[in-house]
Amino acid sequence: MTTETLSETAAAAPKFSIRTVLHNAGIGLALLALIVFFSLFTEHFLTPNNITNILTQITINLVLAVGMTFVILIGGIDLSVGSVMAFAAVVAGKAITLPGFGPAEAIALAIVAATLTGVFCGFLNGAISAYWSLPSFIITLGMLNIARGAALQVSEAQTIYSFPFAFEEFGSAMIYGVPVVFLVALVLVFIAWFVLNFTVFGRLIYGIGNNEEAVRLAGHSVARYKIAAFTICGLTAGIAAVVYMARLNIASPIAGIGFELNAIAAVIIGGTSLSGGRGSVIGTLLGAFIIGVLANGLILIGLSDFMRQMITGVVIIVAVILDYYRAKYTAK
Amino acid sequence: MAAASLAAAPAAAPDRAFLTVEGLKKHFGGVKALDGVSFSLDEGEVHALVGENGAGKSTLIKILSGVFPYDAGQIVLAGEPYRPSSPHDAKDHGVQVVHQEFNLLEHLSIAENISIEQLPKNSLGLLDRKEMNRRARKALDSIGLTDVDVTAPVSALGIAHRQLVEIARALQSKSRILILDEPTATLTERETKRLFDIVAGIKADGVTVVFVSHHLDEVFAICDRVTVFRNGKTIATDLISETTPEGVVQRMVGRKLAAEQHEHPEGHVVGASALRLENLVTSANPGNSGISLDLRYGEIVGISGLVGAGRTEILRGIFGIDPPRSGKIFRDATEVRCKGPRDAIAAGIGFVTEDRKDEGLILGMPIAANISLANMGSVSRSGLLKLAEETRQAIAGAARLTLKYGRTSDPASSLSGGNQQKVVLAKWLARNPKVLLLDEPTRGVDVGAKAEIYAILKDLAREGVALLVVSSEMPELMTLADRILVLAEHEIQGEVKRPDFSEENILKLAYGQTPGAGENDT
Repeated sequence: MTTETLSETAAAAPKFSIRTVLHNAGIGLALLALIVFFSLFTEHFLTPNNITNILTQITINLVLAVGMTFVILIGGIDLSVGSVMAFAAVVAGKAITLPGFGPAEAIALAIVAATLTGVFCGFLNGAISAYWSLPSFIITLGMLNIARGAALQVSEAQTIYSFPFAFEEFGSAMIYGVPVVFLVALVLVFIAWFVLNFTVFGRLIYGIGNNEEAVRLAGHSVARYKIAAFTICGLTAGIAAVVYMARLNIASPIAGIGFELNAIAAVIIGGTSLSGGRGSVIGTLLGAFIIGVLANGLILIGLSDFMRQMITGVVIIVAVILDYYRAKYTAK
Repeated sequence: MAAASLAAAPAAAPDRAFLTVEGLKKHFGGVKALDGVSFSLDEGEVHALVGENGAGKSTLIKILSGVFPYDAGQIVLAGEPYRPSSPHDAKDHGVQVVHQEFNLLEHLSIAENISIEQLPKNSLGLLDRKEMNRRARKALDSIGLTDVDVTAPVSALGIAHRQLVEIARALQSKSRILILDEPTATLTERETKRLFDIVAGIKADGVTVVFVSHHLDEVFAICDRVTVFRNGKTIATDLISETTPEGVVQRMVGRKLAAEQHEHPEGHVVGASALRLENLVTSANPGNSGISLDLRYGEIVGISGLVGAGRTEILRGIFGIDPPRSGKIFRDATEVRCKGPRDAIAAGIGFVTEDRKDEGLILGMPIAANISLANMGSVSRSGLLKLAEETRQAIAGAARLTLKYGRTSDPASSLSGGNQQKVVLAKWLARNPKVLLLDEPTRGVDVGAKAEIYAILKDLAREGVALLVVSSEMPELMTLADRILVLAEHEIQGEVKRPDFSEENILKLAYGQTPGAGENDT
């Protein structure tokens, strides 16, 4: 009796995630297979330079996908993150080029401006779809246009440039060949993982994705959690804007077109269910890697950009089919 | 050819066996769902399958209807080996199932639903609406639903009629075996009676009816034979005329049920008013004078009435799901205004909803997460989960309700219906509610778990909790309640006190007939 109780206590907490760990192992194996394949068939794939390249290339998508994971877990979708990122970048670009500030102040101002812009747009997405119970697909499609228009309006359709040197330095800084901006994305992944697995908030995000009504009847304000998920997604779009500006040293109102689809693809390839309630941000991390490795490797192998796009599409569909079988067998 | 051979004798003769199942086995992963099922069906009989949830009835039905293949054993249908490869194949063999969950397309018309498997076409290959409506009319008429318009959308039908439409759909193609899976779960007594008349008609046409039910009174009312399942095995097949409900229950549970189910403890010490409603009217419950009632600590009050009388709506109104339009709610003699479930919960009220799957549980999430769902504060500190504490509380809550489960980290969907219901109860008990609202607390729950849930609810009342129970099963209310309020047309028609409990007294009020001796409106 005592031993039974003990083993139960010991096993209970991890097992919730053992299933996700096993599942992630599957995605991890797929990633590993891709890496092995490209190392065998290309000369340059596994060189330090190319690895640095891949990490740099996936950073923005990874940041966006972390926020997207929250939204998809509650059964929503956010189509506006690419536009919101551009809008946030343009607002931050205006802020950073204001006269009369030292470099440190200007950079701080830009970061605050970008994140606040992202948070504001995300909050609107969440508040409108939660208050009127409208599909987030439509609301964020509207926001996609609003934010893009706002970005063009604010910037007068001009690219903003000449940022403080320190900002550029941050964008290209490396620690042992790992871009600092990628480390920032990794920290976000870790925070999201912690929040989703070890906080009441994260638990209810999963709960809402599984059965919104049961969560509501248990006395929780579902609307508040939904708004929070969209706000987080807006926040990551703002952070992505900062990363983008630091990397390219410009703020263009036409940046980020189609980025929302890559972010959604990373989340879905990472095994998060599009209907919500099931998935993990670790999966999203692996999903972003798979997209990045494919893009990089297929070009090294000599395929055209068009072929690369086709293959990425195939991978998305295969990932969803695999998820179908996984759900079928774990349900038994 | 089938109808001609219908013999007069109702008793089973071995040579009339029309479907035989022998040594049937089926497992899912490591779980043995069927572990040696043997029984036979005679032509034109009504054959009951009974057993606790998880005993294997559903699996058997799914095998017979071609949803799953079987692992071992054999099925012989009309002298030929029967191994349906798909539900379609099973239908071609004349085996039809009316499932517990409805498979109707709500926004399409009744006629479209009835013909959906084979829509009639005219010479141009377009949908032949006239023919479709004609077929539907014929199908509905054949089961006596002459008053239903076939062009109306299914969404306009009540739940009972939807069930009957499903039966009509199943019967329009040639059926040899019609399987009814818990057909009465959502029906009121009057509707159940109508269903029974239809079943009698089907039987007279020589169709074999398999009747799956938790309600033994129904089994004894319409069936010829009963086969009892326990733990994936068939225990025995009895002629209804040669057995008793007690005998069947004993076979089902393999032990004698505690006599408590019919014992009437008068020991409830009734305390002060816990919850009082004054002319409560909600948007979903638009009675003229609203609902007034007074629920005291330590008391179990039942709410009876036909489906649609507004029973669930009272509970939803109290719990703040459908906010009140007018009227007042008092907790402990203080007026409360619940703008949502959160306020009701803060006022010490819990609500075990009627619909486990959609409202009560998060089926895909662990048992522990379900138990803590309404009580996150006690398993967290400043927003951080204390997972070990959550598991500890889940184990304690499960032990209190004798939950049968593997691990608290298993998803709630891994449990049987009765145990799922216990998880819902555990969720609310974790908050120590002062007032507990229960809507159909034992729907889809097997006999053994039912008795256990009754015992739990009575214990709660003894501990001083005030319970308000809505149920369609009169024996359930008569077992549990100290007094029963009877609703019709969104208004309380009267109250029946324990000494006057009888189905007749309750039904009279429910049908708005002249009140009998039961009424006691002081």
